[in-house]
Amino acid sequence: MNERARLLLELADDELLVGWRDSEWTGIAPTLEEDVAFSSIAQNEIGHARAAYELAARELGTTADELAFDRAPGEYRSSPLVELRLVDWAHTIARRCLYEQADRARIEALMQSGDEVVAGLARKIDREEAYHRMHAELWAERLRGDPRFEQALAELRPYVDGDRRTRTDDFAALHDEMTSVRRTAPGAEW
Amino acid sequence: MTETDFLAYVQAGGQVEAGDWMPDEYRARLVKFVEMHANSELMGVLPEREWILRAPTLQRKLALTAKVQDEVGHAQLIYRVVEDLGKPRSQCLDDLLAGRAKFHNVFHYPTRSWGDVGVIAWLVDAAAIVSQKALLKCSYAPYARIMKKICWEESFHILHGRDVVLAMVTGTDEQRELVQEALDRWWGPLMQFHGTPIPRDDDQMYVWRIKSQGNEEARQQFLESYVPQVWELGLTLPDPKLRRGDDGVWEYTEPDWDELRTVVTGHGPRTLERLELRRRFLEQEAWVREAVA
Repeated sequence: MNERARLLLELADDELLVGWRDSEWTGIAPTLEEDVAFSSIAQNEIGHARAAYELAARELGTTADELAFDRAPGEYRSSPLVELRLVDWAHTIARRCLYEQADRARIEALMQSGDEVVAGLARKIDREEAYHRMHAELWAERLRGDPRFEQALAELRPYVDGDRRTRTDDFAALHDEMTSVRRTAPGAEW
Repeated sequence: MTETDFLAYVQAGGQVEAGDWMPDEYRARLVKFVEMHANSELMGVLPEREWILRAPTLQRKLALTAKVQDEVGHAQLIYRVVEDLGKPRSQCLDDLLAGRAKFHNVFHYPTRSWGDVGVIAWLVDAAAIVSQKALLKCSYAPYARIMKKICWEESFHILHGRDVVLAMVTGTDEQRELVQEALDRWWGPLMQFHGTPIPRDDDQMYVWRIKSQGNEEARQQFLESYVPQVWELGLTLPDPKLRRGDDGVWEYTEPDWDELRTVVTGHGPRTLERLELRRRFLEQEAWVREAVA
């Protein structure tokens, strides 16, 4: 796999999984405003994932859907940070903050890269991520000093640079559920 | 203005604004009606939430997240209308959790398969848009205004739902069966959706022109628009009496009104489970609301 495909898959896998993890707050976020915010963020992230998978698919001679759904767990290149199932607000916000920081560095590097196709995608993504960063920063300010939040940050920080070649325990259940409908009629149109 | 003048005014097509005088009875009925709508938008995302992950393509996943986002956005807008009428949103949400407030019958049922996701987005949203379009003429102007945005967005949900259904009925036998099986289960609740066929002049929501049509008119409109589409796809509906009469009026088996009453009073197959899910997370994260208050 070439470097472009590798970078795109890492980006796409992260965005797909974090998008889905954020959508876990659908209908149950602490406030209605956050229900709206989280469903909007989730939608953006999944949109970014699709755009990155489409470019990767061109490199690899496959389709975006096949990359997103039909790979074996060992073939995904997601960060362990986005695989974790964290349905409590302190951890969710801690992950959002850590993810947006790491994602910003990545997107900036991609924008600077000499690869115009990848840089173009990165610029497009960056426009929406700016709002996600504001959202994460706002929450970090509100929760700064709260022991629950600080502890969650400390707990999750080591995952940021975790090994992308192995999957966390939480991935199996996620992958199983994510592919459950698709597996019932392999190759079918949905 | 007396109550009689007010009634004559709204019945002649007049509209009122938030700051205008209105009879207590009108305000109370309006709050109850609009609050139930807001509750339904909010509770309506719960049957769909787990299917965001299970959606079998990226396009479907995106469409579903967009739909869910629209719905929570609608809830937020509609609760604001209720708030302007004097009932705080926090009280609405407390009443919802405590089972003191209602939400639409269709959101009390389980979502068993991807076929349900298509049938809900297509036909449940279609049934809803029939009611909502009639609210564009609501005598309470702020509610009528936001209904424009809501109807516009709902029309996309219907297209998404129809597309999901279409892909499945033109797919494998198993996919087609998923749609048929979902349709068989949802038909009862869909026929109950617009309520009992009380004459519109006995319906206080119509008398005050909160609604601009009666329940049966809404159901007839739904049947007229969607039954032919369902049949066109080669799907069947589980009602042997269902037919369009020579006079253009649809005939059907009497819907199960006992079931409707049972369900909307909080005894549906998934009512408690869904309220409990919200309650559990709102309790777990109560500290967050305190932290930002």
